[in-house]
Amino acid sequence: MNWRGVSRPTLALAIAAAVLSLAVLVGLPAPLQALSAAAVLVLLPGQAMTRLTPVTDLALVALLVLALGLATLTAVSTAMFYLTVWSWQACVVTMGVITIVACLARARQEAAA
Amino acid sequence: MTSTLKETVPPMAKWKALDIWCAVAGAASLALAAWSASTVTLPINSDLGLIGVLPYPFWAAVLILNVTFVVALRGDAAGPARSPVMVWLVAVQVLVLFGTAVFVTDVPRGEVAFRHLGIADALSQNVAVDPNIDAYFNWPGFFALVATVLKASGLDPVTVALWAPVFNVALWLLAVAVVTRYLTKDPRRRWLVLWLFCLGNWQDQDYLSPQAFGFFLYLVVIALILGPLAARTPQFSGFRRANLAAWWRGRTPADSRPGHRVSALAITLLLIVVISASHQLTPFMVLIALTALTMAGRVWPGRLVLIAGVVLVLWLAYPASTYLAGHPPLADAGLQTAIESNVVDRTNGTAGHVLVVQIRMALTLLLWTLAAIGMIRDWRRGHLDIRVLLLAVTPLLLFPAQSYGGEMLIRISLFALPFVALQACSVLLPAEGMGTRIKRPSLLAAGAFVLTFFLLAAMTVTGRFGNAQYDVFTNNEIDAVNRVDRLAPDGAAIISAAHPTPWRNQDYLGHRYRTIEDLCPSDLSAGTCGPLIYGYARHNVAGGYLLLLRSSESSLVVQGQTTTQGFDELENWLSDQDGVNLVFSNSDARVYRVGP
Repeated sequence: MNWRGVSRPTLALAIAAAVLSLAVLVGLPAPLQALSAAAVLVLLPGQAMTRLTPVTDLALVALLVLALGLATLTAVSTAMFYLTVWSWQACVVTMGVITIVACLARARQEAAA
Repeated sequence: MTSTLKETVPPMAKWKALDIWCAVAGAASLALAAWSASTVTLPINSDLGLIGVLPYPFWAAVLILNVTFVVALRGDAAGPARSPVMVWLVAVQVLVLFGTAVFVTDVPRGEVAFRHLGIADALSQNVAVDPNIDAYFNWPGFFALVATVLKASGLDPVTVALWAPVFNVALWLLAVAVVTRYLTKDPRRRWLVLWLFCLGNWQDQDYLSPQAFGFFLYLVVIALILGPLAARTPQFSGFRRANLAAWWRGRTPADSRPGHRVSALAITLLLIVVISASHQLTPFMVLIALTALTMAGRVWPGRLVLIAGVVLVLWLAYPASTYLAGHPPLADAGLQTAIESNVVDRTNGTAGHVLVVQIRMALTLLLWTLAAIGMIRDWRRGHLDIRVLLLAVTPLLLFPAQSYGGEMLIRISLFALPFVALQACSVLLPAEGMGTRIKRPSLLAAGAFVLTFFLLAAMTVTGRFGNAQYDVFTNNEIDAVNRVDRLAPDGAAIISAAHPTPWRNQDYLGHRYRTIEDLCPSDLSAGTCGPLIYGYARHNVAGGYLLLLRSSESSLVVQGQTTTQGFDELENWLSDQDGVNLVFSNSDARVYRVGP
């Protein structure tokens, strides 16, 4: 894969997911913890998955980022509860991995283009 | 992906004086509303709810806001005010109408948000889903989400519940805005739909709840169906078999790019699964909407409705089977049952409470009437949009199927609201023909808008906050609930007077929670009900705690189940019994311990 063809937003999204996931797991002061958790659990995975779809309408993009982020987190959390393996830390790690995997898939698209 | 309908009016390039004045007026009305609402003292002692105690400056703020919106909507010959100004005014409207209670108190309204926090807490404590506990554990999706977000963010659960209505309505509005972009190309209509959606949203379903989450996802599904997954239909040539087959085969996708449709389909399927795992009613609403639009030929993937049906049936047959085994979904079906539980049973109580209920009904009927007139008008002019009609009308199909605890009509009116609002725009902002540009409203029409919107706002505030005498809690009441939680050992019965009681958010599974109205459904007199309550608490191995709050007493009185005197007699009878001791009291609450 030609990594030079990968866009900066894709790289930034993947790096942000990795760094913020670690930060949330380690713990941050009160308002930062909430903001970072919202980013890692909902916004970054939502954005990464939305970027896999060729959506161009900004309003629809904003809607899909929120809907995909919330729906994926719900699916992941519910599955973990049914499998009795839930912990919020496991959810943070899983959502971080989903974001990075989505970024890799996007990177492949960009490199191939 | 499929482009939305293009606006006929180009966006204005520069900020004008009108934009700046509208933005400033919006800020002023927000400040005035927040300040005036914060002067309300608790407890609220009016059976009209919050409207009985809100000071005049609050209504001045509502009037200023509606005048500002109409001025911004009217704009100039080029179109309405700039989008950031319109977004700002809608945001102010959300804060004023749905955040009013936040300015009055720092305790969430109602009981259910507290209960939902307790369920999320119980899930995270047990790290397992036990469907035998109650219905919520058969549809745990939303609670799993809340448990994860609360634990990872470290946010105070009560603060999250307090702000949930504002957050949820903001999410809904974003989704309604996208849906509307696929249904009308006129920017004035698009903004007006959002305004009417706020003004007609008295249903109070936006608290921290699975239905609020489900409604958001429902709107996203509708947006995808009307957008990337939409189909265009050929000319309809009759109901003969061959004609129908030709019509069905003649459909074409609205979005010509297969990759776009596949990604939209994948997202839709994920959303349908999550909706099915999170809420009982919403999947049926999705299924009905999908079926109606598919039969109208407006959905390109024709088998999507079958897939949605299979997902719903699988969820009911496996994860939710425990609950359904004891609660057949059509057990209380029938039009008469639905009317009794949704309408007749709700029109009881004090004069003020009955007036509030009547205003809720009047507001719904007013919007539906406007929508019906708009529909007839569009039909006569040959540009009725069948999609809007179907989405507005089809939720009604669920009315006779389930009474849903007397709340079915409320849910139906919420699911229909975005499309009722859009159809009502055909009256307020009429177009003369298909594709015809909508004219700038005249000054006379603008005056009528202001009066109409102010009236709707007053009705919505009345409807939403009409139960404030018993669903807005004081800090004293919260102190009493917290004290009971600390005093009561595991397995103890905690008996409150009535719903709503702000309980179960801390130890959902630790105690047996009952209310006096549950134990004595038909007669709350001291002679009949007293022995039942006393016996129930006395025979509980771990004992019982009687939690009597000002709000729950008001709930019984306002809804006509007892009188203040009758309630006092019941309390006196109970407090005179052996083994019953007052263990906590303040100006809004008493707690009695009943020994086993």
